[in-house]
Amino acid sequence: MELLPNIGWTLLSLFVAVNYGFLINGLIRKVMARIQGRIGPPLWQPYIDMGKLLFQRNSIMHGYMHWLGPVFRSVGGIGVFVLLPVVFGDLRLQGFSAYGDLLLVLYFMFFGSLGMALGAGEGGHPHSPIGVSRGLSQMTAYELPFILAIVAVVAAVGSFQINDIVAAQQGGWQNWFLFSNPFATVAAFIAILGMNMYAPFNIVGAPTEIPVGPPTEYQNTYFSLMMIGRAAFGIAKMVLYMNLFLGGATSIAEAFVKVFLIYFWSVFVGAVFPRFRTDHSVAFFLRWPTAIGVAGVILTQWMY
Amino acid sequence: MNELKQIDPQDRAAAGAAIAAVLQERFGEFAVHVQRDDLVRIDVPRRDIIPVLSYLRSETPFVQLTHMTVIDWLEDGEFELMYLVTAPTLRVSLMICYRFPRENAEAESVFNLWLQAETYEQEINEMYGIHFPDSPRQGIPFILEGWDDIPPMRREFDTVAYCERVHPERPGRSHEDSRAYVGRTVGEKGYLK
Amino acid sequence: MKLPVKTIDPDKPWDVTRLPTTTVPEGSRPHADPGDTQCFLGAGEIMQPPKLQEAVAKIRNWFRAMSLNVLAFGTGCGAIELRPLRTSRFDMERYGITGAPTPRQSNVFIISGYLSTKTLKRVVRSYEQMPNPKWVVGLGSCTINGGMYWDSYNTIKVLDLYMPVDVYISGCMPRPEALIAGFDYLMRDIKAGRANGWHHYLENLAWYRENQKKVLTDWDLPDYSW
Repeated sequence: MELLPNIGWTLLSLFVAVNYGFLINGLIRKVMARIQGRIGPPLWQPYIDMGKLLFQRNSIMHGYMHWLGPVFRSVGGIGVFVLLPVVFGDLRLQGFSAYGDLLLVLYFMFFGSLGMALGAGEGGHPHSPIGVSRGLSQMTAYELPFILAIVAVVAAVGSFQINDIVAAQQGGWQNWFLFSNPFATVAAFIAILGMNMYAPFNIVGAPTEIPVGPPTEYQNTYFSLMMIGRAAFGIAKMVLYMNLFLGGATSIAEAFVKVFLIYFWSVFVGAVFPRFRTDHSVAFFLRWPTAIGVAGVILTQWMY
Repeated sequence: MNELKQIDPQDRAAAGAAIAAVLQERFGEFAVHVQRDDLVRIDVPRRDIIPVLSYLRSETPFVQLTHMTVIDWLEDGEFELMYLVTAPTLRVSLMICYRFPRENAEAESVFNLWLQAETYEQEINEMYGIHFPDSPRQGIPFILEGWDDIPPMRREFDTVAYCERVHPERPGRSHEDSRAYVGRTVGEKGYLK
Repeated sequence: MKLPVKTIDPDKPWDVTRLPTTTVPEGSRPHADPGDTQCFLGAGEIMQPPKLQEAVAKIRNWFRAMSLNVLAFGTGCGAIELRPLRTSRFDMERYGITGAPTPRQSNVFIISGYLSTKTLKRVVRSYEQMPNPKWVVGLGSCTINGGMYWDSYNTIKVLDLYMPVDVYISGCMPRPEALIAGFDYLMRDIKAGRANGWHHYLENLAWYRENQKKVLTDWDLPDYSW
């Protein structure tokens, strides 16, 4: 597609994705409240929070590096989304995936967290680096089953381009990697619990303990930027998982439904579990999920 | 000590009486008062307090220091220091009390026997003004920051006068005797009239 | 470091060029900004800005009222009544009220119960770290007139002298239903533009400081805890 229309369609899909992310965040709070027997806030509560944050003043600035932390995080989230094809076969919703493949997407995913780590340390709060170190050590742990699952999938397909991975899964639901390589899918779906930082892996945030970890010193404008980045990044991760393991989407409605289901896998697990400590979570990821990932790679070599 | 080992743990009154008998046999005549079936009060002279506590901690089941507090006998001019020592296996407690004069009050520290006494002694030092030599953290403020008056738990400290001097009051507050109020609303039988 | 107290031109209360400013050690210049509320100095007169400013102010106040973050700092025994508000019986999240553990992301400070002088110093520090606008709710009779600690050497009796309070909820302790009614009052006040305690604090900072320093004799906080 030409560059200018491509930019236009990509921005439109980004706008829809951010709004979808906000609504899903509101729905998550509602669902968690219902699981706990409460009523919960209205569905559009993230919009109200965003409005309130934009209508407040910042009272202190800790320097430009501190401000760049949420910028990096948002850029990471938006960059990941832009590089992913959303709907297979629809030329308008391919994003910029022709310019970058799966390796670039993986780089961008960790770029956001590292930028946040640099920025959070500048706040002057002594507990932010504690949250940062916890987050990074947990990230190195869940990367292992995640990368093993990706290796299994890429070895089966033979290409790093996401469109080729989606194309290899067409022709009926039996071809999805969810069913043809269940070990890789299970390892990746356990890794996504660590990625989304819901319980039992929310030691990074650990509300009230260190107060919220890395975002402790971030005030209103920066916090609203982080909210946008969080919404975009969340949807982007789910789109990636949909393309890798659930056969992609051939229509917009199918994309919405699959993203919703994958998001709520981590929410439902998070609603009922307590929290792991960092050493527990690192040890957990390096044991059974890694073994399952290795089994997935072996399965690929054996089948193809 | 053998009689302590033969006591049925359910018969706590016997345990209390037995330990009092053991202490009297070893250290001399004390005033013993059995207050409940699991609480015995023993008044010791000041020179015997550390030997008694060391003996209790090392050779009897009474190994745990539960509490430490001060009673202010203003009329007698004395402080009374009370140690509440428990035997977790028998579930019996002893109150070991001794008195000492109020002027330039100094007391022996039991920090070498029980480490948790450090905090109790710090609080007693701040609230009563009793000095415990050899106890760390003496003089370091615990609750009162920037305190400039006499130690506030002493009975000669007038709380109401200090409060009226330092903390301003909101005008219009009325004082009423709570017994009169409750008697008016709830009545003698305890339910609403 | 002193905050110069400038008066607001009653004809143009939204004029941002005339706001009081100050400098912090890092050199940045945050400013206190009373220009977006309706209530100003001078015996509680309400100024009427033009219609557009009024509409924007209405929207702004509505957003602020429907998403309150309560600072998770239980200063006294009243904090025990805040916990049932998060459970399924008296759910307060349905009004958009959540908790925030850090002062940088919170709007409401609930002084729950008695306030000893040791806690008052930490409360002042946390309150000043919160970004504007912010509101204070006094919970229980101890904040109103000393409550059952009226003769204690260590607790303050009138919270109004040390912090600006927007809503008092009386009781010892007030039940969670009373707390929700208090939040309702607070939200109504915010939407009407009446809750300006933070503005009063900034304009009369010297007076508040004087009261605080009378009680906190070992004052070691900075001039303003940004």
